Amino acid sequence: MSDTTLSSTSTVSLPAFRFSAAETLKHAVLIFGSLIVLLPFYVMVSYSFKSPAEIMQNIGGFFGAQEAFRDDYCIKLGNDEADCMVTPIIYNYTTAFEKAPLIRYLLNGVIVTASIFFIQVLVALPCAYALAKLRFWGREAVFGLVLFCLLIPVHAIALPLYIMLAKVGLTNTYAALIIPWTISVFGIFLMRQFFMTVPDDLIDAARMDGMNEFSIIWNVMLPTAIPALLAFAIFSVVAHWNDYFWPRIVITGDRSLFTPPLGLREFKGDADGDNFGPMMATATIIVAPLIVAFLIAQRRFIEGITLSGMK
Amino acid sequence: MPRSKAPYWFVGPALFLMFVILLLPIGIASIMSFTNYSLGNSGAEFVGLENYEKIFTRSTYEKMFGATFRYVFVVVPLSVGLGLGAALLINSTKRFGDLYKTIYFLPVMAALIAMAIVWEFAFHPTIGIVNSTLERGCGTFLEVWGWYAHGCERGFPLWLTDRDYAIWTVAFIGVWQGFGFNMVLYLAGLTSVPRELYQAAEMDGAKSAWDRFRLVTWPMLGPTTVFVATISFIRSFQVFDTVEAFYPQGGGPSKSVYVMMFAIYEKAIQQNLMGIGAAITVVFLAFVMFLTLVQRWLVERRVHYS
Repeated sequence: MSDTTLSSTSTVSLPAFRFSAAETLKHAVLIFGSLIVLLPFYVMVSYSFKSPAEIMQNIGGFFGAQEAFRDDYCIKLGNDEADCMVTPIIYNYTTAFEKAPLIRYLLNGVIVTASIFFIQVLVALPCAYALAKLRFWGREAVFGLVLFCLLIPVHAIALPLYIMLAKVGLTNTYAALIIPWTISVFGIFLMRQFFMTVPDDLIDAARMDGMNEFSIIWNVMLPTAIPALLAFAIFSVVAHWNDYFWPRIVITGDRSLFTPPLGLREFKGDADGDNFGPMMATATIIVAPLIVAFLIAQRRFIEGITLSGMK
Repeated sequence: MPRSKAPYWFVGPALFLMFVILLLPIGIASIMSFTNYSLGNSGAEFVGLENYEKIFTRSTYEKMFGATFRYVFVVVPLSVGLGLGAALLINSTKRFGDLYKTIYFLPVMAALIAMAIVWEFAFHPTIGIVNSTLERGCGTFLEVWGWYAHGCERGFPLWLTDRDYAIWTVAFIGVWQGFGFNMVLYLAGLTSVPRELYQAAEMDGAKSAWDRFRLVTWPMLGPTTVFVATISFIRSFQVFDTVEAFYPQGGGPSKSVYVMMFAIYEKAIQQNLMGIGAAITVVFLAFVMFLTLVQRWLVERRVHYS
């Protein structure tokens, strides 16, 4: 990292105290930035631990006092007051799962993101292989079309897509959540660029062994493409797990099809004072999987997300 | 491979999906933008340029363009500038660089809708952490700043519900969310700047850090900057999650945050005015495609140093 530093080349000759002053200032700026970046994460996790009273009065530090408080809803159900005393952290997280079918939402999120990724690969890989390694009439035109389609943000054409899906009666289905994303021109472009670097000899050898083109794709090209595919997987999963706009449009009302962002949004819609804690718990649960995965495999994630930086 | 039909089988599905999912919708939107189509109606009337005329004359849409451009022209320069600044700082520190990188990248990973809801809490006028933190600074040297003293006396802004602050607050969240992404791209760009160039520049008399930045780093990062700026433009044009989370109806205090994607959503999906929604879609696509073409043009004519 320090290979290409801006200052190290010149600061070597400067007296030590000047050097550390500059360094301290840099860290001061970077730490200040970190505090602002981390602020909402702090608020989110902290509120998911606290009782309603602590949230309302903005007290209790990060964890809150964790003193048991009376759950009014439980009393309304006719239970004894002693049975209705709850610890904030436990109350928040259990309510998050009880008040709405959060498990179902998370499952939907997994189903949708996984389906999208597998279909994208299924469609893009053969196309990328043909564009990179096979010679056929119209290849340049197809590649030109891919480059043109890279210009189109799918969110921007959401309205006509919605009408098309509505016309064939597919709104409020898994299909509606998945279909618009089945074609990833970016995936085709990326895999094509990657396949261009695979030596022809490898493919010729496979042909000599009597493999047909179809099995070459899945038995020869796919294994060589694992690193690129992994990066693409991260890119795709992050985009679709977090996507809110498209599910918002095609899923109207049917809770059993909600993805995690929709579930959270609905929770917010009918949250009152007592529910801020559980709502923050829901937000934490939805954000956590990607953040944890990111912290475990940072390098891969940053590679995957910045893939779009490849030209 | 002329003997085989295999390539067409491989390209076929992708080609079909490109036509149906990406190209056909653009055609549909273009045609629909000249009609008054509504979902559920059997037919639609051809209304000529009426939809476009509305977009470019009515005050609602004037506000839409105003909010969109205000948002875009705050978020793009700030997220590109902060991304570059963070990358340069991280690149030049000896320690903890990876830690800062990880922290600054976190907002990129987190679902924006979730973080929007959290920010709404943070910006809450009475129980929010932002205003309560600001209040703690009252009575200190910060009151020298007129705005701050005013806030201490009369109360700090309502942020998201204040007509004068709403769009800037939403833009702030956009910057918060996006600059880490730009930082990572800049860090990648910085690793490809050859070290010898700095030495050469120094020999030629570039003494200060600013000179080295101006003469070496900035020109060498040119292609990265073009790319980062385009990506930021396209992303910020598409802002929706935060706006919908804060203002499910109407687009904020006196429509000051009525951005284009929200307008499409409101007109077409909520009010079933497909014609006008399609017209906004077409204008939107024109913007985005124009920007990307400008980027490609800039990349192609860029000067190669190596």
